[in-house]
Amino acid sequence: MTHDRIYDTFRRRTRRPVGGIGLGAIVAGVGLGFVAAGLAARRPRSANPVKRSRNKREALRLGRDGAAIMGASVLFDSALEHLRGDFRRDEMYVAPLTGATAMAAALAEPRRRKRGRVLEVTHLSSVGIGIAGMGFHLRNISRRPGGISWNNLFYAAPLGAPGALIMSGLFGMVTHRMAQAEGYEHLHGRELACLTALALVAESGEVALLHFRGAFHDKAMYLPVTLPPLAAAGLMAQAIYPHRHFRRPLTLLLRAVEGLGYVGTGFHALGVARNSAGWRNWRQTTLAGPPMPAPISFAGLGKTGRAALDLLAVGEDQPRQNKERAAI
Amino acid sequence: MTQDAPRNDRPRAVNGHAPDVFKREGQVPMREYPKNAPVDFVIVGAGCGGSVLAAKLAEAGMSVVLFDAGPFFQPRRDFASDEREQEKLYWLDPRISDGDDPIELGANNSGRAVGGSSVHFQMVSLRFRPEWFKARSKLGYGRDWPVDWREMWRYYDEVEEALKISGPIRYPWGPDRGRYPYREHEVNEAGLVLARGAEALGVDWAPTPLCTVSAPSGKSPPCAYRGMCKIGCSINAKQSMLITYVPRAIKAGAEVRDLAMVGRIETGADGRATGVSYYRDGKWRFQKAENVVAAGYSIETPRLLLNSSTAQHPQGLGNADGLVGRNLMVHANDAVWGEFDEEIRWYKGPPSMATCEHWNYADDDPSKNFDGGYSFMSQGPLPGDFAGTLTSSTGMFGDDLLEAMGRYNRMAGLKMVGESMPQVDNRVTLADETDELGLPRAKVTHSFCDNDRRLQGHGRKFMSRMMRAAGGKNLFETQSTAHLMGGCPMGDDPETSVTDDMGRVWNVDNLWICDGSLMPTGGGVNPAMTILANAARIADRIIDARFD
Repeated sequence: MTHDRIYDTFRRRTRRPVGGIGLGAIVAGVGLGFVAAGLAARRPRSANPVKRSRNKREALRLGRDGAAIMGASVLFDSALEHLRGDFRRDEMYVAPLTGATAMAAALAEPRRRKRGRVLEVTHLSSVGIGIAGMGFHLRNISRRPGGISWNNLFYAAPLGAPGALIMSGLFGMVTHRMAQAEGYEHLHGRELACLTALALVAESGEVALLHFRGAFHDKAMYLPVTLPPLAAAGLMAQAIYPHRHFRRPLTLLLRAVEGLGYVGTGFHALGVARNSAGWRNWRQTTLAGPPMPAPISFAGLGKTGRAALDLLAVGEDQPRQNKERAAI
Repeated sequence: MTQDAPRNDRPRAVNGHAPDVFKREGQVPMREYPKNAPVDFVIVGAGCGGSVLAAKLAEAGMSVVLFDAGPFFQPRRDFASDEREQEKLYWLDPRISDGDDPIELGANNSGRAVGGSSVHFQMVSLRFRPEWFKARSKLGYGRDWPVDWREMWRYYDEVEEALKISGPIRYPWGPDRGRYPYREHEVNEAGLVLARGAEALGVDWAPTPLCTVSAPSGKSPPCAYRGMCKIGCSINAKQSMLITYVPRAIKAGAEVRDLAMVGRIETGADGRATGVSYYRDGKWRFQKAENVVAAGYSIETPRLLLNSSTAQHPQGLGNADGLVGRNLMVHANDAVWGEFDEEIRWYKGPPSMATCEHWNYADDDPSKNFDGGYSFMSQGPLPGDFAGTLTSSTGMFGDDLLEAMGRYNRMAGLKMVGESMPQVDNRVTLADETDELGLPRAKVTHSFCDNDRRLQGHGRKFMSRMMRAAGGKNLFETQSTAHLMGGCPMGDDPETSVTDDMGRVWNVDNLWICDGSLMPTGGGVNPAMTILANAARIADRIIDARFD
């Protein structure tokens, strides 16, 4: 097996493939650094000269948070899983770093007056790197004996995982665009609803594969493969035929999907505890057990879904506002 | 080890409690039965046959006492990651082994613990090929089973579900068997060697269905791939009888008597069984029973029946026709080993993670020059085990051995489970020599026939081809045996078999056998699942008969 330069450097320095704790600390440090950078880049909302409807502000906030959560999930999940893979190839560092930049860029939104080319480039590069990641993962699978087999789909590089990076970039981009433009809320709402629906379906697909690998040994494992597709169907219906009907129950469903992200993290912590020696043996069990940072991406998608509904509401209110303005 | 570490030489299932197998310390309540009042069933041997039977009979409301000659271990406390220490799991009492091809008895074919050899088996969980249940009529060799394969298929389903077997979603050989309860494990590098070789030769391979969970189940954590499976799983991921059917039996009201060596099945004036004499805690005792089941596997079950002779049964129980102990079978365990350029680290994970059953199903292949079949699996012997293999098979010693073991992490191997024919002269008898309890030692006589040798030669040749195709170099072959089958075959005809189709000994209507010794043929797969499924079937038959 060949190893890349950083791997070899670590090996020479520490005489171990990857200094687990040391590397984890580095990754976490980088992540936190980017969080700080992202927070610093935020503009105080009161500085906005133009008054926006409450719904629009809420939508921007939700879109931004959703994209940032997706980025954070990629940061920590890929750091964990690539650590498990010993960071054997140098490219494996790219995933957590891109997750961090995606998160920071998302947190730097919404920008209203500046064009924000750096942000645009960052969002788009997340998408590009996500696609490249999928290519790497596909290559990893196809090189192993058995090719596209269940064993490789279960245990080789997960094909769907880099998709979260693509989504983070796309959500960041949509948030960016809707902050820049006024009057296109309805269109943006439909786009975001469609995008979120697709992301929910993709995410549920990956969860279905991995929970199937775990033989759905706990009934709660069915939740993330049932609620999100329902929400996706609702959102897709709204994207195709925006209608106020069912929007309230759909909002509740999206809140449930978001809640699933938080509760799921707890469930995964319990899952880690059910591995041999549980949390006392965390250096092994957090890598071998269910991935702790994975479920939170549902929280991100719950938020972007609600952002889409808020935008649709803004769009539907606009003609009336315009008429009122004209009457004055 | 702490000062008050429990001793292995004192019974632990006493005073209304049994050890809690899921904890380092602690006990679970256990029912106890008086010795002088007959219990419904006494079962001798707490392995794959006895444990399943005990659990199912107890769950049906019968009073059951389950005996085992070995200790009642608590894996999390008692199992060390040390090959020598864990030899305590094997039945290493001296036996006399002769014949043209004497069998080495111990690690590969015995267990002496509550849970039997399932405590240290390698967890390979394969099913018989359907035609093997009618090997004589359909394939023209061996003997027919008195059971239809579809019935056995249902019981395979039952025990696989109970043990949460982790296996592939689609199994490439034989009729559809549905989906295994848990998903297959990640195939380790040693298994991928087999996979590469199989793909190069154009034959199917599969991740091995294994009896260790790939996700949490009950109190069992998922497998941590420590690779110590063959010396007892200390984390309880392996679904051995010790942590599955035995706790089920205890919960349902069965009593387990550990470190209790049953020496004789006693019979009354009418020739029927009245109970068992057993040695426990320093003296001989007697337990009354309505029914007695021998479940001590292919050597101890015949030994017990033969040693229980009376004036009425001068040749031993069930042995009027001299069939007890005959038709003993082993599996050929020949292997091919080779070196690789890359690191394999074959000790990681369960030892046999990939399997090929091609030669169990390829009847029409022109190169097939033998009756029966064989499967083979990737290997992951622990260092002591492999050093032993090198020494005993190649005579390697000293510096040569040290140098060879230096390549341990770059080795891989394929090992067969090859069917051997039932032969009446392969048998268990009683020796003149006695053990420390005064019981005659077992004498095991075994020789391979020509067909067995052809099968083994074919296997070694094919496995060598596969190893080369996978990139193996400096190949060498070894020969050994594993598993035991037969000795008290069941059948439809009292003239040619020891028991009927439900394990009831002909002519002694309250004496039963329920273990691997019932198997009329051995098949080319590891026998554990077949013994389990047959025990589950026998349990249902007994329950039905009793409540009809």
